[in-house]
Amino acid sequence: MSRWPRRAQYLLLIVWAVFTAMPFLWAITTSFKDVNAVQGHVTYVPWLEFEPTLEAWRQIFGGAGGVNLVGPFVNSLIITVCASAIAIVLGALAAYGLSRFRYRIGPAKNKDIVFFFVSQRIMPPVVLVIPFFFLLQMPGLLDTRLGLIIVTVALLLPIAVWVMVDFFDNIPREIDEMAMLEGCTPMQAFLRAIVPNSAPGLTVAAMFCAVFGWNDFFFAFRLTFTQVQTLPQAVVALNSSIPPWWTLSAAALFGIIPLLVLAVLVERYLSKGNLAGAVR
Amino acid sequence: MSVVAQSLTSWVDGEAHLDDVTLTLEPGRIHTVLGRTGAGKTSLLRVLAGLSDVDSGDVLLDGRSLREVPPWRRETAMVYQQFINYPHLTALENVMFPLRRAKVPAAEAQRRAKEALEQVGLTHLSDRRPGALSGGQQQRVAIARALARRARILLLDEPLVNLDFKLREQLREELRGLFSGVGETVVVYTTTEPAEALMLGDEVIVMHEGRVAQVGSPAVIFETPATTAVARVVNDPPMNVIPGTLQGEHVAVRGLDLLPRASHLAGFADGPYLVGIPAPSLTFGTGPGVLATITFVEISGSETFVHVDLQGTELVVRAEGIHDVSTGDRVSMTVDPSRLFLFTEDGTLAAAPPHGRS
Amino acid sequence: MTALRRYKVLFLAPGLLTLFLIIIFPLLFTVRVAFSSWNVASPQMDWNAGANFVRMVHDGRFWSSVLHLVVLAGGTVLVEYVIGFALALAVWREVRGRRLLRVLFLVPMMTTPVVMAAVWQMMFHESLGPVNDLLGRIGIAPVPWLTSPGPAYVALMTVEIWQWTPFMMLLMLAGLLSLPREPFMAAAIDGAGPLRTFRRVTFPLLAPVSVTALIIRLIEASKMSDTVYVLTSGGPGSATETPGYYLYIRGLKEQQTGYAGSLSLTYLVLMIVALTIISALLVRAFRSQEELR
Repeated sequence: MSRWPRRAQYLLLIVWAVFTAMPFLWAITTSFKDVNAVQGHVTYVPWLEFEPTLEAWRQIFGGAGGVNLVGPFVNSLIITVCASAIAIVLGALAAYGLSRFRYRIGPAKNKDIVFFFVSQRIMPPVVLVIPFFFLLQMPGLLDTRLGLIIVTVALLLPIAVWVMVDFFDNIPREIDEMAMLEGCTPMQAFLRAIVPNSAPGLTVAAMFCAVFGWNDFFFAFRLTFTQVQTLPQAVVALNSSIPPWWTLSAAALFGIIPLLVLAVLVERYLSKGNLAGAVR
Repeated sequence: MSVVAQSLTSWVDGEAHLDDVTLTLEPGRIHTVLGRTGAGKTSLLRVLAGLSDVDSGDVLLDGRSLREVPPWRRETAMVYQQFINYPHLTALENVMFPLRRAKVPAAEAQRRAKEALEQVGLTHLSDRRPGALSGGQQQRVAIARALARRARILLLDEPLVNLDFKLREQLREELRGLFSGVGETVVVYTTTEPAEALMLGDEVIVMHEGRVAQVGSPAVIFETPATTAVARVVNDPPMNVIPGTLQGEHVAVRGLDLLPRASHLAGFADGPYLVGIPAPSLTFGTGPGVLATITFVEISGSETFVHVDLQGTELVVRAEGIHDVSTGDRVSMTVDPSRLFLFTEDGTLAAAPPHGRS
Repeated sequence: MTALRRYKVLFLAPGLLTLFLIIIFPLLFTVRVAFSSWNVASPQMDWNAGANFVRMVHDGRFWSSVLHLVVLAGGTVLVEYVIGFALALAVWREVRGRRLLRVLFLVPMMTTPVVMAAVWQMMFHESLGPVNDLLGRIGIAPVPWLTSPGPAYVALMTVEIWQWTPFMMLLMLAGLLSLPREPFMAAAIDGAGPLRTFRRVTFPLLAPVSVTALIIRLIEASKMSDTVYVLTSGGPGSATETPGYYLYIRGLKEQQTGYAGSLSLTYLVLMIVALTIISALLVRAFRSQEELR
C-alpha cells in the first residue's frame, strides 16, 4: 500500500489539533498578561515576550478592580444540577413508560410521542424566550434561579427522553416483569430492578444535560439580570473590544473548567467501547 | 384451591394467541404444556401471571376472579427461558429479593434463600453476580428464586431450552426432584420437547394454534393422541401422517406396498383415512422392498433420525444406534403394521395400536 | 387491567405535562400574540388581523437575515461534514496519541459557545489579535475580520466550524466503528486502493449515518444566534444578522412582542419546512449512493 494516506492522516490530525488548541492557548497565555503585554504588539510566549502575572486570576475572584465570578459559578452550578436532575427524573420516567407500555393519545402512538419529545430540540431558544419572559414575569420568577431552572428543564427534557428511551429499550423487559411478579408495583420494579441497572444510560443523559445546561446563555441572558447571573452571562459581560482581555481570558477559562473535566470523563466512557453502540 | 382458566381468548393483530382455552390446574401436580413455538404456551403463562390481558375469559383462583388482580398481588413465580436475574444483585440477594418484597424478615429470608441455593447446588457461588455465572448456573439461580418463594403458582416457560444438551438432561433430572417438594403449589411448565413434557408432567396439556388440543396423563397423550396435530407434537421426531385407505384385508399407504390390516384396525369401514406411522415403526435396510432416497440424516444422542423421500412423500425414521448411511443412499423401507395409528380425514383419532408397545 | 393502566399514566404524564407547560403553552402564547399589536408602550392582547405578517412581508431586514442564515448554516455544516468525516477516518485507524487527540477533539463542542466566541473575538481583533499578527508574518495585510461583511462571515463560520466539527467527527466515527468488516476485506481482496475503497465501500456504507449527522447539525445550526451576538452583534450594520438574532432585537431589545411573535412563527415554520425538504432530499441522495454499490 502506498504511504500517502498515512501521511495525510497525520498531517490532518496535527493541523486540526493545532487549530483546536489555538483559542485555549491564547486564553491561557492572555490570562497571565497585563496591560503592557496586550497593547502594542501581540505577544505569545510568557517570560520571553512578557512577564506573567496572576493579577487577572485575582480579579475574577473578587480582587481589586475586578469582578467576583464565584457567585455566577454557584448560580450556574445550582441551575445546571437542579435542571438536569429534574429533566432526568421526568425524562427517565417518561422514557421507561414509553419503552414498556403501549400508549395511544389520539392518533399518536409510542413512536410519535417519542418523536414529539425529541422534536422540541428544533425550537430556537429565542422563540421560547419571548413568551417565557411574560410567563415568568407574572408569578415573579423573572431574575430568579427557580425561573431559570424551569425553563432550562424545557431545554434538557427532550435530550433526557431521547437518551433514556433508547437505553431502556435495550434492557430485557423480563427483568421488570419478574420484579412485578415478585411483589413490586410497576414503580417499585422501575426503581428497584431497572434504575440500579441503568448507570450507563443515566450517566450519558446526565453528561448531555450537564453540558447543555451549563452552556445555556440565551435563557439566562434574557430572563435573569442582576440578582442571578450565570457564568456564561458573566463572562460575556466582560467581553468588549477594548481590553482588559486578561480578565476576560481568566474568566473564560474558569467558565469552561467543569466542561474540561467532563470532556475527560466522556473520553473515558467512549474508550470503554460505548461509541459503536451509539448508532445502530 | 385450584386455578381455573375459563375460555381465555386473546387476539393480537388479527391473530389468535389464545383461542378459547379452558383448563383446571390442580395444586401439587405438575402440568406440562407441550406445543410448538407459537402454539400459545407463553401467552397462556403470561395471562396466568397477569402480565398480559385477555380479550375474553377469566382466570379463577379458588373460585375468585383474578381479572383485576395485578401481577404484583398474584403470588406467582416465573422462570423464563432467558435466564432472567437482577444483574445488580448477587445470587443470594436475587433469591432473597422476592422474599423481602413479601415482608419475610431478613434472617428468615436469608435462611430460606440459602436453602434454595443449596437445593440447586449453588451454595459456593451465592456471592457472585449473574454476570459472573454460566448460563446453567444463572438458570439455577432463577429456579432457586422461584422455589424459595413457595408461591401459590409456579410458572416455568421453557426453562431448559437455552441450555446445551448435556446440561438440559441433567437439570431435567434435578427438576423432578425439586418439584416433588412443591407441596400445595400449582406448577405449569411449558416445553417444545415431548420427552420433557412426558417425563416431568403429572398431566400434559397439548396446545396447537392457540387451542388446547388434548389434556391427559403422559401415557394417555402418548398412546392415544386425540388428533394428528397432537400425534405430531408428542413424538420426536414427529409422527409421519400420510393419506391412506383401508381396503379389505389391507392398508394402502401412498408410496408403500400394501400392508396387512392389523387387528386393532378391524371394525373400521373401508375408505380414505389419515395413517399415522410412528418414526420408530419404520425400518430401513438393504433387502427387497420399497426403495426410498435418504434426504437428511440427524444423529441425536444414541439414535439416528433418517429423513427419506418415498416417491414424493417425506418420512422420518427413528433408528436405534448410529447408522452409517448418507444423503442420496437408496434404502428399502419396511413398516410394522401393528403400530399404525388411524385418523379420520379431519384428523381425529380413530384407532391406536394396543398399549404396552411404542 | 386498571391497576396497570394507572401506572402507565403515572410514568408518562409528568414529563408530557411539563413539556406542554414549558414548551407548548408558551408556543400557543406566541401564536396568539403574533396577531396582536402588543409592544412595550401598550402591552395588550388585541386583535390586529395579521397586520404583523403584512409588515413582515415588507421587512427586508428579516428576509435578508433568513438569507444570511441559509449561507451560514449551509456553509458551515457542509465544511463540518467534510472535515469531520476526514478526521473520523484519520482516528479510526490506529494512530499514536489517540486518547489525547480524542479529548482535544471533544473539548470544543463541550465548551460554552458564547465563552469561546468571546475568546475568538480577541483572536480576530484587527490590530491586537494573533490571527492578523500571524498572517502578517507571512506577508498578508491585516484583515478587518469583524468590521467588514465578507471577513465577518469567514470569522463566524470559522468559530462554528471550530466548535462543531468534532461533533460531526464523533457521529461519523461511531458509524465507522459499527461497520461490518467483510466489505472492506472483500475490497482489499479485489485490490482496491484507498480511494476506491472509500468511494465504493466506506462512503456508501456510512450514508445513513451521514444523513443523521447532517440533519442534526442543520437543526442546531439553524438556531444560530449566541455566537453572532458575541462575535459580531449582527454587524457590520446588519450584514451577519440571523433570524434568531433579529428576533432578539425586535422581541427583547425593542420589546415589539406582537411583531416578534409573527417573526417567531414564520422562522419556525420556515425552519421546519426547509429541514423537512432537506432531509427528504438527503435521504434520497444518499439512498442512491447505497444502491450504487
